[in-house]
Amino acid sequence: MSASSEVPAAFRNAAGNPGPIALVREGIADILSRRRLVRYLVQADVHKRGADTVLGNIWWVLDPLLQMLVYVVFVTIIRVTTQPDYPLFVFSAILPWKWFSASVTDATTSIVSQDQLIKQIQFPKIVLPVAAATAGIVSFAFGTVALGLLMLAFSDRITPWLLFIPLIAVVQFVFTLAVSFLVAAGNVFFRDLGNVVGHLLRLWWFLSPGLYSLASLDQLKIFRDNPALKTIANANPFAILFESYRTVIYGTAGAPPSGPPNMQLLAILLVASLVFLAFTTMVFKRLEPNFAKVI
Amino acid sequence: MPLLRRPPKLGPDRDEGFAIGATDLGVRYDLRFTRKTTIRSSIGQMLGRGRAEHFWALRHLGLQVRRGESLAVIGPNGAGKSTLLQVLAGIIRPSEGAVEVVGHVSGLLTLGAGFDKELTGRDNILLGGAFLGLDDAVTRELLPSIIDYAELGEFIDAPLRTYSSGMRARLGFAIATSVDPDILLLDEVLATGDANFREKSKARVIEIVSAAKAVVLVTHDMNWVTEYCNRAILIERGELIMEGEPADVVDLHRTHTEEARQRTVEEAEKAGLDPRIVRVR
Repeated sequence: MSASSEVPAAFRNAAGNPGPIALVREGIADILSRRRLVRYLVQADVHKRGADTVLGNIWWVLDPLLQMLVYVVFVTIIRVTTQPDYPLFVFSAILPWKWFSASVTDATTSIVSQDQLIKQIQFPKIVLPVAAATAGIVSFAFGTVALGLLMLAFSDRITPWLLFIPLIAVVQFVFTLAVSFLVAAGNVFFRDLGNVVGHLLRLWWFLSPGLYSLASLDQLKIFRDNPALKTIANANPFAILFESYRTVIYGTAGAPPSGPPNMQLLAILLVASLVFLAFTTMVFKRLEPNFAKVI
Repeated sequence: MPLLRRPPKLGPDRDEGFAIGATDLGVRYDLRFTRKTTIRSSIGQMLGRGRAEHFWALRHLGLQVRRGESLAVIGPNGAGKSTLLQVLAGIIRPSEGAVEVVGHVSGLLTLGAGFDKELTGRDNILLGGAFLGLDDAVTRELLPSIIDYAELGEFIDAPLRTYSSGMRARLGFAIATSVDPDILLLDEVLATGDANFREKSKARVIEIVSAAKAVVLVTHDMNWVTEYCNRAILIERGELIMEGEPADVVDLHRTHTEEARQRTVEEAEKAGLDPRIVRVR
């Protein structure tokens, strides 16, 4: 089996730790050499979710639409917005957010749920959060089907700028992966991290310009008095991502999209996410040898 | 983990027959993290209630296994036998010393876990192959023989959760041994399944040993040790007590077990308990 195996034919394990760059390099090698395992895990995940419900895949399309409906009803009742075509406005944020929150939630338990296997087989544990984050892409893809249906109702806002969605999604994926590594490894050592993550995600959603626009924050007195708050709000990765998705899906209040998203901001976010990803890969690989002992 | 792509250079004692070498092996468990810790409890510890506690599951252990050898690891419960296998499999990195392994390692250390309860037996074999790092084509090639060996019949296309524990154990054993490893690690697997499958798994292990592959196995079945292993080690409280001929090591283990039992009985008598109850346990 030597010629056909993805695992090395010999190893030497000694006490001590490799340096940060070696750790990141190992992490990348782990993922690349075990692409097929990631694919199987994603397939298994998709299969389970699809097979468990009567509506099957239709459910995946309906889910973000129903969530949108909840927010539209809620916002209409408390009358906080004057955005025209509000359903599309809020959907452009729900679509990416569902992907992110589902991926991070799944990644949190991705390691601890495989405790039996981790104690029995040597395999790179990093594939588990990678699979969790990747499986989220599938639900995002179904979400775009829902977006397509919704856009039929707002057909005047359909423009070629929609083709920028995959580009923004790539930036989001890098950021999601980085967060996934951190929560997956953290949950091994702190089993109540899942609760904390759930609440942090909810807080993050409401603090990000999903239900409202980033510009509308300027009307708040607290933002006028504290310019620092404005800077923080602008630096939120999901402020950049939501605004980017909204620019290409919805456009501006009065008009359909007339241009690409802010490419400069997206580029900065991409670079920052890659640096963050390298950091969390290092943290993950540093903690990985302890998983089998702690789990 | 520093995994080498090429086999390490063969030293004076690392000739063609070298399979496993461990020097001054030590594995330390940090007790702060071994119980399911929470952020809440950790903050409590940081505030000074707990101190860094640790426990050596293995210490100062040296070991060599050559190709064609079948090494039995025996000892009382909690002696560190399973930890040793986990280190040899590369699952746990030593806290002290080093371990070197030349050859592909396979071993389901405790069988019956399966891979994914919701997937069918067939999908589990493919997923298992991917976890073990087998090439897809190889796994598909092995598929019929694994299904046949595990005696699953129609159940191969049913979800794993519908399997009996014996069926799961058979499937696990079939996957673990199908890969034809250079080094096979087994933990208490000979006792699984019915008598028929026990015989079959014994035959398979003997086949692997005779094919000049190394086997390290943890077992409480002393007959197996004296009959099929050509060397044995006794581990107690994480330390290597004896290494040698299986019969001699088994004798010492029996003596120690009897002494330990006597001590338990005496302590129970001192504490005023009925020793018969202790003996039964």
